Amino acid sequence: MFLVLFLALWQAAVVWLKIPNFLLPSPFEVFHEAIASREKVASALRVTAASSGLGLMIAFVVSQMISVVFALSAFVRMSCYPYAILLQTVPIVAMAPIIITWFGYGFRSVVIVASVISMFPMVTATTNGLLAVDAELVELYRLYQARWWQVLLRLRYPAATRYIITGLKTSCGLAVVGAIVGEYFVGVTSGSQGLGYYIFVTGQQMKTSLLYVTVLASTLLGVSYFAAINLLAATILRRYYDPQSIQSR
Amino acid sequence: MTSIRPMLNVSGLTHRFSQIPPAVLEGVSFSLNAGEFVSLLGPSGCGKSTILKVLAGLIDATGGQIQWSNGTRPKIGYVFQEPRLVPWRTVSENLALPFVLSRQTVPEQAIESQLTLVGLTKEDGRKLPHQLSGGMKMRVSLARALITKPQLLLFDEPFAALDEMLREQLHEELLSLWGKLGWTGLFVTHNIAEAVFLSQRVLVMSTKPGQITEEINVDLSSKRIPELRSSSDYQTLVASISQIMRKIYRQSGKVVSS
Repeated sequence: MFLVLFLALWQAAVVWLKIPNFLLPSPFEVFHEAIASREKVASALRVTAASSGLGLMIAFVVSQMISVVFALSAFVRMSCYPYAILLQTVPIVAMAPIIITWFGYGFRSVVIVASVISMFPMVTATTNGLLAVDAELVELYRLYQARWWQVLLRLRYPAATRYIITGLKTSCGLAVVGAIVGEYFVGVTSGSQGLGYYIFVTGQQMKTSLLYVTVLASTLLGVSYFAAINLLAATILRRYYDPQSIQSR
Repeated sequence: MTSIRPMLNVSGLTHRFSQIPPAVLEGVSFSLNAGEFVSLLGPSGCGKSTILKVLAGLIDATGGQIQWSNGTRPKIGYVFQEPRLVPWRTVSENLALPFVLSRQTVPEQAIESQLTLVGLTKEDGRKLPHQLSGGMKMRVSLARALITKPQLLLFDEPFAALDEMLREQLHEELLSLWGKLGWTGLFVTHNIAEAVFLSQRVLVMSTKPGQITEEINVDLSSKRIPELRSSSDYQTLVASISQIMRKIYRQSGKVVSS
């Protein structure tokens, strides 16, 4: 309801105030542009989905390995965790050109940019989850002579699931942002153009309607990841916790 | 009951978390006979739970000696204050946990009989912990502690969070299991009536540092039936231990109305 009202007001404002298309296209013009350039945008969406998806997967695997090391060794955690936080605060627009310089103009660099930006929220969330486990359950496991890997795989990991999913939810949006920033810097030389490339080009050429379509496509991609992770979370967490307590989270 | 056979002798047990005094435990000495049910009674922070953790081998004491009658630590079951069930494992899977963790074959038959022993059904075995009531969770926790057939059961205020009626019911069920299975029990509590009803001996602890100050034999009927709670012997004993506890609370600086 709110969306319909918002679009109607937007359309009315553009028509009545005679706002030029390059400043603010009307929703109708954006819709028309979406239909006209659907193949181009769909192709760009596929490229960005591939780079952000692959980047997110790599980030997930690497973040889990880092988190396990952090959880198992207080020494490593205390030595390296501050640097992980520090790295997280470096703006991705500053990091992307460096990564592209190292790994070249292409798909690989875009994937790495997406990985780097989406990795740290998962490292933080997973490490916190692995460490937040009930101390008496750890004692119970020790009482029955559980080995360290049993404590890790049969207790810490399942107990951290909620934290891991929270980290994934934060990271999935960041992976899309990272891929778009990567594509923005990589530009046309990558061979296949993602949404970031179109955002760059349409912005430069004042093709504002197409710019809006690409931004909408990026949002759609981020929301799709989020929805998929939510579905996964509901399936996994239903077994772990009272369904009512999951809904309230 | 059974003939007196020592199981454990603790002498001069001392434990400190830092060099700054007072110690958590200072020179704690007591013994346990096989098949006995003994309560450790004391105010919060007197080191009762620390004694259980040292006996279970979960922490190393900084001083003192623990001598087990057969030279090694016997099989131990531990019941925590909260049921501490693993939330993603069903009741049956929680009961199987001790075998899974110690890398043994899970005896399915034992799980079923254990459920029956604590008054749960086969269907309850398929439930997840969040689907159980507080009393059922505690029964599962008890069943899990008993499933490996331990010689010594350590209880860390297991019924503290339950309501009065349920607590009394579980006292009777616990004593019935003790009578049937014959394990030795060391029960930590700060509830005087609970300690008297369950135990044959009560060890009273003071705080800062944690020490055993009194050892009280509970010379009540060996049949701990609900009616015992209204008997004058029981109530006199509870009142006299209560006096001792008041003194300890006053000494430890905890406010107690006279």
